[in-house]
Amino acid sequence: MAMGKSDEGMRSSRLVFYKEDIEKIERVLAQFLKSANAKCALLVDKDGHLVTKSGEASTYDMDTISALVAGSFAATKQMAKLLGEEEFSIMFHQGKKDNIQLSLVGDRTILAIIFDDKTTLGMVRLYAGQVASKLGTLFDEIAQRKSEAESISKDFGQAAKSKLDDVFGS
Amino acid sequence: MVQINFARREVNCKIVYYGPGLSGKTTNLELIHQKAGQGIAGSLTSIATEQDRTLFFDFMPLDIGQVAGMKTKFFLYTVPGQVYYNSTRKLVLQGADGVVFVADSDPNRMPDNIESLKNLEENLKDYNLDPKKIPFVIQYNKRDLPAALPVAELNTKLNRWGVPTYEAVAVKGEGVMQTLKGLSKMIIERLNDDYGKQPAATQAASAATAPSAKAAPPAPAPAPKPAPAAKAPAPSPPGPRSVPMAPAARPAPAPAPGRTSTPAARQHSTPTSKPSPATSKSPGTSKPAPAAKGGGGGGGKWVAIALVILLGGAAAAYFLYFKDKL
Repeated sequence: MAMGKSDEGMRSSRLVFYKEDIEKIERVLAQFLKSANAKCALLVDKDGHLVTKSGEASTYDMDTISALVAGSFAATKQMAKLLGEEEFSIMFHQGKKDNIQLSLVGDRTILAIIFDDKTTLGMVRLYAGQVASKLGTLFDEIAQRKSEAESISKDFGQAAKSKLDDVFGS
Repeated sequence: MVQINFARREVNCKIVYYGPGLSGKTTNLELIHQKAGQGIAGSLTSIATEQDRTLFFDFMPLDIGQVAGMKTKFFLYTVPGQVYYNSTRKLVLQGADGVVFVADSDPNRMPDNIESLKNLEENLKDYNLDPKKIPFVIQYNKRDLPAALPVAELNTKLNRWGVPTYEAVAVKGEGVMQTLKGLSKMIIERLNDDYGKQPAATQAASAATAPSAKAAPPAPAPAPKPAPAAKAPAPSPPGPRSVPMAPAARPAPAPAPGRTSTPAARQHSTPTSKPSPATSKSPGTSKPAPAAKGGGGGGGKWVAIALVILLGGAAAAYFLYFKDKL
């Protein structure tokens, strides 16, 4: 199978997040959690991969939550289209103890905020709006700057193939 | 899309199992979950109907551990196979790094295989992806059926791209891991080609040498290993490789030289974008400009000093004048 350069659709949209960018994003999220008194904030890309998290998130299965967040957001987008809207930018799910609000940040990331009765939906919405705009600006800056300080090791391919043989049997 | 997260030291890839309803996509995931075991396979989440048919998708993370300092994970998704769930299928396909098409070997299901494959092609096209160019494999499932179609016939009808194919009996776990491993390796190979580290200073040189190094895979591929479930003879139609495909038999990622021209990702920069600005820069055209600017900047400085002296003098005179008046 020739894997040439012509399939730009996949290649050009690959996501790379550098450490310095994530540190900036985490600072913004930590400040938000403090202001809104929410439990935890996750930033998830639209393909369902976790970008970063902040707050009390250690007990959650982050991979699955991220996949489901992206899936439900995608499904809601389809619903919006059928109703003549381009996208619903905010989703909210209420539970007995914990609630989750999902809001769109930039073009391709979703901010998921988990909060309980220590705060209110209004507070979360207020600060979520602010944080979404701050993150949007940050993403624009990241997009314009070409950070190439980090790269995966050139041994990655070989190492990954041996690992796959170990894990799945050769 | 592959997500490379240097802060979390993670590489995340998305694999989608596609195919007609009841061809065994969810079964593949269930068996991978059983076989990979705890610590590698995360929890298997299904969004299914009460009859256990996939409604939205099944999802399972697979953590293969540290690879060259990066925690490497594959996220496995299945799509709902039933025809009327196309919008959901398309959503799940978004951002896929590789696709497994699970075909049913039952002769009566051939029209469903063909329809589902056509649907996959259309949906990929909507995401600007070409089955010929993305990591893509076909799994011929249910090889234990007495009336299972011969592989050669399945290849003729389903594999017009000549992608690697694997025979499987998913319910017994046969061929399941081989399929996943085959696709995972294709994804990794592709990722490594795009992102393998090249020191900045040697990029120009390596751009010239890399192609020859890359173009040295074992040319005539060794004969593929027989699959555990392999029963059928392997003669294939023009192009398709026999069953199951040994990874080494795959044609090399030949067009390596062209890769350097990959444009930088729109939102997030990529290391591969570095060479082009560096090599395209022409010293002859860029140098004179700063020099001329430097001259202009020097002249401006003197004008500024003169203005400061003039303004200072005027202020002093003004002050003295008013001092006398008072």
